[in-house]
Amino acid sequence: MLNDIFIAPFSDMISAPDFLMQVLWEGLVSGILYALIALGFVLIFRSSRIFNFAQGIMVVFAALTLVGLFAMGIPAWISVGLTLGVMFVLAVAIERVVLRPLVGQPDIILFMATIGITLFLIGFGETIFGGENKVMITEELGIPTGDTVLEPFGGLLILQHLDITVVVVATLLVLALLAFLNYTQMGRAIRALGDDHQAALSVGISLQTIWVLVWFIAGIIALVTGIAWGARAGVSFALEVIAYKALPVLMLGGLESITGAIVGGLMIGILEKLFEIYWGQPLLGGNTETWFAFVLALIVLLFRPQGLFGERIIERV
Amino acid sequence: MKHFTKLATAAALGTVLGTAAIAQELYTPNLAYRTGPFAATGIPLMNGQADYMALLNERDGGVGGVLINAEECETGYSTEKGVECYEKTKGTAIVTQPWSTGITLQVLPKTNVDEIPILAPGYGFSPMADGKVFQWAFNMPAGYWDAADMIIQYLEGEGGSLSGKKIAFLHLDHPFGKEPLPVLEMHAAGKGFELLPIPVGLKEMQNQSAQWLQIRRERPDYVVMWGWGAMNAGAITEAVKTKFPMENFIGVWWAGHDADLKLVGDDGKGYKSISWSFPNPDAPVMKQVKEMVFDKGLSQSNEEEMQGVFYGRGLVMSAILAEGIKNAQENFGTGQIDATQLRWGLENINLTNERIVELGLEGMVPPFSTSCGNHTGHSGGWMLEWDGAKFVKASDLLKPNVDGYADLIQSSAAEYATSNAPWAMNEECSATN
Repeated sequence: MLNDIFIAPFSDMISAPDFLMQVLWEGLVSGILYALIALGFVLIFRSSRIFNFAQGIMVVFAALTLVGLFAMGIPAWISVGLTLGVMFVLAVAIERVVLRPLVGQPDIILFMATIGITLFLIGFGETIFGGENKVMITEELGIPTGDTVLEPFGGLLILQHLDITVVVVATLLVLALLAFLNYTQMGRAIRALGDDHQAALSVGISLQTIWVLVWFIAGIIALVTGIAWGARAGVSFALEVIAYKALPVLMLGGLESITGAIVGGLMIGILEKLFEIYWGQPLLGGNTETWFAFVLALIVLLFRPQGLFGERIIERV
Repeated sequence: MKHFTKLATAAALGTVLGTAAIAQELYTPNLAYRTGPFAATGIPLMNGQADYMALLNERDGGVGGVLINAEECETGYSTEKGVECYEKTKGTAIVTQPWSTGITLQVLPKTNVDEIPILAPGYGFSPMADGKVFQWAFNMPAGYWDAADMIIQYLEGEGGSLSGKKIAFLHLDHPFGKEPLPVLEMHAAGKGFELLPIPVGLKEMQNQSAQWLQIRRERPDYVVMWGWGAMNAGAITEAVKTKFPMENFIGVWWAGHDADLKLVGDDGKGYKSISWSFPNPDAPVMKQVKEMVFDKGLSQSNEEEMQGVFYGRGLVMSAILAEGIKNAQENFGTGQIDATQLRWGLENINLTNERIVELGLEGMVPPFSTSCGNHTGHSGGWMLEWDGAKFVKASDLLKPNVDGYADLIQSSAAEYATSNAPWAMNEECSATN
């Protein structure tokens, strides 16, 4: 038993380094997508203290809108533009209809409101687009398909062009977001709101504008995530469950930390894949990805309740 | 006072007329799922079911002159909602169609007390085949153990002895996914192949890279898949990605959905799925559905979906139920049958080739018959193969070797009855009847 836990997995890694590289690559691809979803949560939480339960359904809604517009005969990239328009309108509507009337209410009320948004978007999406599985317009968007086969250490490493594109686009999106948050006036306003609501409002930062902005950014992230996941296994309401994979990322990285979302996503993506392949499948019968990330996050929380990068809040009574 | 009397009279009259109106229909609720993560596979099946009943109502005025009310109760494939739907619809229902193995397992003990037949064509708990123990449950025309047995037979027929070979069993980590394990394990022990179960969690359905990395590492000769909903599309795209030979990849009948394969198109060529149904757009029933249901705007389907395997299967499911209703009506001499009478009807289905032609279903379902002891029918099925654009038949009719696991059916059924005691059985029936 000790051999199976402490020696055999590492011996497997050394004896088949090409396979280890494949596992790490798959973990990286998953991780960057988890990080992307987690970023959507973090941005909204930072600016409004709302845990956005609707992030998952926004992924579905954005992907369905894109595919639906294309099916109406609109060219692919114009459909992308129009989908972004729809996500902007959605952000404005959420701010006007749901959030603005609830300003000042306890956080739990706002959280419940996002559950309401989720249920509305499920019903609305199913009414408009139906529940059937749809094919993502991968080729029409110019996303490369096919693969590159490498032979490191005399073995086999398959890199899907789609996955490479996802990693590149997601990385660029994350960098762009970081640049936006750090170097633009609006970005700094979002960060200011996250740091201190009252102080930010007192210097004239508009809460309404910022909320629309962060929900729109969450919509952009949802669209990119929807395209990436939809290209892998089709576009359907099953995509919604992908968002739940971001929950342990948030626990691990901290709900308020952009760095935490990125590092947490990558850590969970890679570690859960390594654990599943080298320990979970041989020793536990597999399917450890369902719980591994949560256990990892709980262990971290035992030592750092605010997450790896979350802010430690000390409240004086 | 006069005014009150008039109102009371009107209300009483309305109630009587209303009851009379309700009485002129047979209530066959369907615990459907058109929403949620499994909706993509549920919708074509539900459409096929609904359209066949709509055809009977339009063409024949129902069955035996009594209209069919095939109302749907939406479960989203959630077991909890499924149980709620069962409780909500059981009042005047003559049958319940639970539409998930998880829901079937939950309502199975309830139906035995409420005395309502469960109709779970091609799904549910495989020992339901034993009609003596599961007197109210039916999973005809074939069960999961039949499917597992036919797949193993097919692999032996195509690639010779399975001794020393390795079969990966990729399955949804859910009661449905685990159903065929007893028969697969039995065959692994008997035929000398290694069975490698690989579970896929509900949250991992669309990201199965870990499972397919394991398949790459283990290098199985075949992959057998018990997949459903988004899991199928996820698995097929990963199989293409990892360059697993498609001709060695076989799914159960719920993993043979056209829309899932269209995601990969030509790359999915050679993928197979065992199936007890086959779409036949030229069958007379399809033309009638088109004219009398679809063209009249009574269908929620579309022309592309109607060509697919799942739509055709939904149609056949309703045809089986209608056949049970007809049997009962003829036997008991009444159009307005009850649940107990329908049970008799479902236990006496004899879908011969002639009857299949008579119903306009030629080529869409194999012949089979049921009895009080045999609630599965064991019709057998065809191996279907994806040709890049649609599923085509890749084998003649395969028949399961039921004798090989008849003892397993009886012992599992007996075990279920013991652990759910007191369990009412049909003592007048023998399992071999």
